Amino acid sequence: MLTKTQKVDGAAIKKAIEGRDGKMLSSFYADDALVRVIDRNNPPSKPREIRGRAAITTFWDDICSRAMTHKVDATIADGDSLAFTQACAYPDGTKVFAAAMLELKNGQIARQTVVQAWDE
Amino acid sequence: MVGDQKSSGQADNLVRPIETRYALSGDVRIAYQVVGQGSFDLVFVPGFISNLDLHWEDEGYTRLLRRLSAFSRLILFDKRGTGLSDRVDVHHLPSLDTRMDDVRAVMDAAGSGRAALLGASEGAPMAMLFAATYPERTRALALYGGYAHFHKWVMPPDRLEAFIATAETAWGTGATLANFAPGRVDDTHFSTWWARFERLSASPTAAAALARMNADIDVRGVLAAISAPTLLIHRRNDVRVDPDASRFLARKIPNARLVETPGRDHPIWTGDVDRVADLIEEFLTGERAVGEAERVLAALLVTRIYDTARLGDRMWSERSEHFHETWRTLVGRHGGRCTDVHGEMMISRFDGPGRALRCAAALRDAAQQIGVASAQGAHVGEIELRGPPAGLTGRVTIQLAARAGRGEILASRLVADLAVGSGLHFADAGRVSIDELEEPMALVLAMSEQHLEPACRPKAKAAEPACLTARESEVVSLIADGKSNAAIAAELRLSGHTVKRHVANILLKLDLPSRAAAAAFSARQTGPDGP
Repeated sequence: MLTKTQKVDGAAIKKAIEGRDGKMLSSFYADDALVRVIDRNNPPSKPREIRGRAAITTFWDDICSRAMTHKVDATIADGDSLAFTQACAYPDGTKVFAAAMLELKNGQIARQTVVQAWDE
Repeated sequence: MVGDQKSSGQADNLVRPIETRYALSGDVRIAYQVVGQGSFDLVFVPGFISNLDLHWEDEGYTRLLRRLSAFSRLILFDKRGTGLSDRVDVHHLPSLDTRMDDVRAVMDAAGSGRAALLGASEGAPMAMLFAATYPERTRALALYGGYAHFHKWVMPPDRLEAFIATAETAWGTGATLANFAPGRVDDTHFSTWWARFERLSASPTAAAALARMNADIDVRGVLAAISAPTLLIHRRNDVRVDPDASRFLARKIPNARLVETPGRDHPIWTGDVDRVADLIEEFLTGERAVGEAERVLAALLVTRIYDTARLGDRMWSERSEHFHETWRTLVGRHGGRCTDVHGEMMISRFDGPGRALRCAAALRDAAQQIGVASAQGAHVGEIELRGPPAGLTGRVTIQLAARAGRGEILASRLVADLAVGSGLHFADAGRVSIDELEEPMALVLAMSEQHLEPACRPKAKAAEPACLTARESEVVSLIADGKSNAAIAAELRLSGHTVKRHVANILLKLDLPSRAAAAAFSARQTGPDGP
């Protein structure tokens, strides 16, 4: 597995996201990782939850199948915590902006919370 | 007119300006909207006609789209020739292949590499053709009320001609509603929306041309080539598309599963929308939909003004307004909340059935004083805490009110069971089949003491047989013959419920206390000019 060789840090995440490399992204997560997404349709009291590596792999496969651009702007690392912002655009000009906070455990992502907003 | 408890969420949805964009498919512009930002894309392929802007003005449609866009990036579009998309030459209609390619054009414009497709009604064959043509771009397929061959499962050629004749002569009036959602024909708010939906989705000529084009649909040959996981949903008593259509698809599409649900209204945004959304969400996300947490048990009372045709417009309007005001006052006085108004249909909710029924009795009396007649339905069930009661409990109560006769308060047996000890009285009213419910529902008529022994019944004029209608006269004669309601119903080919209503009306008109008195009255009148 790539998890043994690829260190999860801001630079690796930036490269995988901007390159729409779903396989690489999925490899960063622990088997029992949890991704929570909070947005206007999924409020903080009922966020959308994606549990486990299989579901997270599908999640990234779906996102990376989109013909869109991603730009990871700012990355902040503090011990086992990592945060970054991401600006994305669809071909018709629709924009999405997301901020993500990650908790690492044994070098893998154990928990991630994404807050996102978009043009509609 | 809207209720005074309109939820901010719904109001927000009604006015939320969703941006409409246009994709180029060949030289035709296809209008589309993108809602939500879920991790995967879901393309909704609509049926016969659609209008992207108008969908957001209907409660059921908005609810469906809000549910789907909570877990997906929902891509909506109007097919060429309909809604906000370019019109097409009705004499040279595009093939299903060309229309199917519009889906690809919209996906390209929206940056969707791979999407789940939801095809509803006529949108289903288009979605199937897409899935067979572009397997690499089809994540999954959900088909609602779909079919592979029009004439076999929707209507044979002769019925199609009759439908087209109706569409050509009465397009834009909402006349086609009965063909799609007979359960909503009496809902004036919805039928008015449907008429606009017709006008804003297609011109009369285009509608007839679209109907002919759909009649050519036959995608039976591509079914075996569909490799995407497929969910089929069909309402068991769908009036538009025979459920056998989906059973056939379930046998022919390799990786398909069929779920049949109760109901007869065909459009995906009518009937139990949440049930359909739950099934789609579970199928596409692999997780059971999280139920809306904020539901409470409540008693609903639907009050409608009975027989709207007898008064002149002006007098009608004055009395209707007066009754609406009285309704607000009385509902408040009985501790209830006015939750919604649809034309002459007023919906209120109460914490318990006793209060709802006492309010109903007060409303019936108030209506009489104002010079209108009421007909009411009461039911108990879970409703959403916020917003008007749009769920199943609300729809069942509306159906009860629609069935109630002049002055009647028709309630579910559950209401009577819960009101034990309240001093209210009930008479059995049989069992009836209600749309969306698996089992026939047991009903009761609420009888207040006042109803049986009116304290201040207006003095009736001297009873004259002439004030009875021809049908009522027939019923009186049969009562005089000693026949039961059931026997009268059989003889006159009426329902037991209708006979019961006739008897109640006869007693009221003649100011008589019982059937025996009516029989005696009939005997007195019988002669050369008797009833």
